[in-house]
Amino acid sequence: MGKSDADFLQRLHEEALQKQEAFFGNIASRLGRERRLQTAPVRSIKGAPEFWEDVQLSVEQRVELFMSNWQKAGGHVQRLSRMSDVKQFIDNFIATTQARHLIIQDQDELAELRTALKASTDINLTVWNSGAASEGEKDELVAKAAGADIGIVAVEHAVAYTGSLVVTSDPARGRSVSLLPTTLIAVLPLSRLKTKLGEVLRPFDVLPLKERPAGIHFISGPSRSADIENDLTIGVHGPGVVYALIVDEI
Amino acid sequence: MSEHKATSSVKERSKVALNNDFLRNAVKFTTERLKNGKLAAAEEHGNWEEWRERGRQIRLHTIAHLDYYLARFVENARAQGVHVHFAADAADAVRLTMQIAEHKKAKSVVKSKSMVSEELHINHALEQLGVEAVETDLGEYIIQLAGETPSHIIIPAIHKNRYQIAELLSKEAGEELPPDTGILAGFVRRKLREKFLEADIGMTGCNFAIAETGSIVLFENEGNARMVSTVPKTQITFMGMERIIPTLDDLEVMATLLPRSATGQKLTVYMSVISGPQRQTDGDGPEEMHVIILDNGRSLQLGDPQFQELLNCIRCGACLNACPVYRHIGGHAYGGVYSGPIGAVLTPALNKNVAEWDDIANASSLCGACYEACPVKIPLHDMLVYLRRRKVERGSKDPLEQAGMSGFKFLMSNANRVKAFVKLGRIGQKMLVRDGHIKAKIGPLKGWNSYRYAPSLPKQTFRESWKDIEQGLAGTLPELSTDIKARMEQLMAQRTGGGKYHG
Repeated sequence: MGKSDADFLQRLHEEALQKQEAFFGNIASRLGRERRLQTAPVRSIKGAPEFWEDVQLSVEQRVELFMSNWQKAGGHVQRLSRMSDVKQFIDNFIATTQARHLIIQDQDELAELRTALKASTDINLTVWNSGAASEGEKDELVAKAAGADIGIVAVEHAVAYTGSLVVTSDPARGRSVSLLPTTLIAVLPLSRLKTKLGEVLRPFDVLPLKERPAGIHFISGPSRSADIENDLTIGVHGPGVVYALIVDEI
Repeated sequence: MSEHKATSSVKERSKVALNNDFLRNAVKFTTERLKNGKLAAAEEHGNWEEWRERGRQIRLHTIAHLDYYLARFVENARAQGVHVHFAADAADAVRLTMQIAEHKKAKSVVKSKSMVSEELHINHALEQLGVEAVETDLGEYIIQLAGETPSHIIIPAIHKNRYQIAELLSKEAGEELPPDTGILAGFVRRKLREKFLEADIGMTGCNFAIAETGSIVLFENEGNARMVSTVPKTQITFMGMERIIPTLDDLEVMATLLPRSATGQKLTVYMSVISGPQRQTDGDGPEEMHVIILDNGRSLQLGDPQFQELLNCIRCGACLNACPVYRHIGGHAYGGVYSGPIGAVLTPALNKNVAEWDDIANASSLCGACYEACPVKIPLHDMLVYLRRRKVERGSKDPLEQAGMSGFKFLMSNANRVKAFVKLGRIGQKMLVRDGHIKAKIGPLKGWNSYRYAPSLPKQTFRESWKDIEQGLAGTLPELSTDIKARMEQLMAQRTGGGKYHG
């Protein structure tokens, strides 16, 4: 079933508005206020400690740190010069692993790669673009992602300090593509590699509500679990094999 | 939380744990590893104390202005199309959830790990409605199959070994699965993949909610929380009302503190910032998103000078791993949803019934390791003392202990009584002393002497020997500094009752 009936939701909303008064009234009174605080309180501190703001790494240091963290987490990483190298890497990967089903985001950065992959007769390629998709077509895209051997994405950002890739959702960037396939291949344009989390997070704070993507996902390695006797297991739900391909020139 | 009742004492429950060798080994092994991982991660990060202080400041500020920040969150979440609801207690939250599930004619629900949903016992309620509720975190799935509750905030199935797990999963698979971690996890991946794809509703918890963006943030390693918030058409998020931080900028601090304190990772494999349901042309993510904001006893801590800081907790589990008592008795012995030092304080606080849960406040050595470990510096050991104090003040005390205390007060408030009593003791002990020790397990000495011997009372008290000692020391003691001496003399001058009475 899709969305709930509007009148059902409206009824819940009205109930919530009613309860909200008591809820906030209670909080305010326990905090010693007569009414709910309406204006923003003054903040003397916000975000990371001062010393952290001064930490800045050079491009090469960032690459080195990202690669080291990504590998420590169990991921694979390659540094490549241009997109044609990415194409070559993926061809080689497909040939070696006998991958059949691929899904790729409809991002501009990946245009060349898509064209090349489409030409290949050995594989079944799905391109994620839900811009004009019906409900049924959307479901179909998710199903394709779930059955894919490889998902290919270009990341929006990366953070060297935590070894994280950052992907965001929009019609050409499905969340499922980086999540459901067995293997994730992520293209990371070098210029998008930052030093710290804050550099990626802060701009989202000031982004107008309408422009903020519904999903912002930080990915720091293969899916893992230590829930059975603390024995590390890779690929429990998300991709167990993850490649970050750092590309110098895009 | 009326369903929570302390039916047996921590002592009894911990015996169940203590007799289970595997549990103890497993808990020790895991917590040791988590603790060492945390120490390494904290050290590697550098300036850990500064980060901790920053985390504490952010949490203190937010909680002190919770009415403002929570309202901002609600406003911004609604602007993005989220349906926000309020639940005063667990029953309220369950009722709301059931209404939505019923309206959706839901057949199955997939859940990612959420301590709040443990407070609600939501699975039970869903099952009564005929809705299948599947835990999708590997550890939670295992204990769900076993029909148990989590014993650790971060590693819920810490008390099970892989043979027990293989047995549980084999039953589910309908075939014999070997006790091999990879194979067992592979089975769960396949099995739960189907569940994700067919589920009508996804349920998540909420590690943090961002006031200024109306987003919820989830930290996890397996990818199941991403699944739950990506595949099903409807998402219901349970959020403790205190989960708020003001901005995404502040999230950097929490993202630095939480994974390092929980598992020693720099960041969990996935950190997802979810801002409302899918946009019109998005291809995945929930079409409809509900956030249920839960009080359930939390607001009772607000404005309480001794316990308000409890709301700063970010649920990392570091205090469990550091606690010498938790490491011996495991999570189930605490009897509530939350275990370890945080559970010992939080459970009675949330339940409003300090008396009923008082014995878990005693399951602590007050060593302060929990405070040292806490990434937001909650003074848990102090709170445990306050709890014990409140328990006594509310009159829920052991009559024997009470009698003992008044006897002690009677005795100690008069120096002559003490003298007489000690003299009596010296005569009385003659029957019992052997080689300077009392070994008999009688009367008040029974508990003590079961494990060690009590020393006998010396022939002379310190006061009685003082004259001799003073003579021997004559001239060897350094002179008291003049201002201290003056102060002491002043105190002596103010004393009434000839110095024989104190207080």
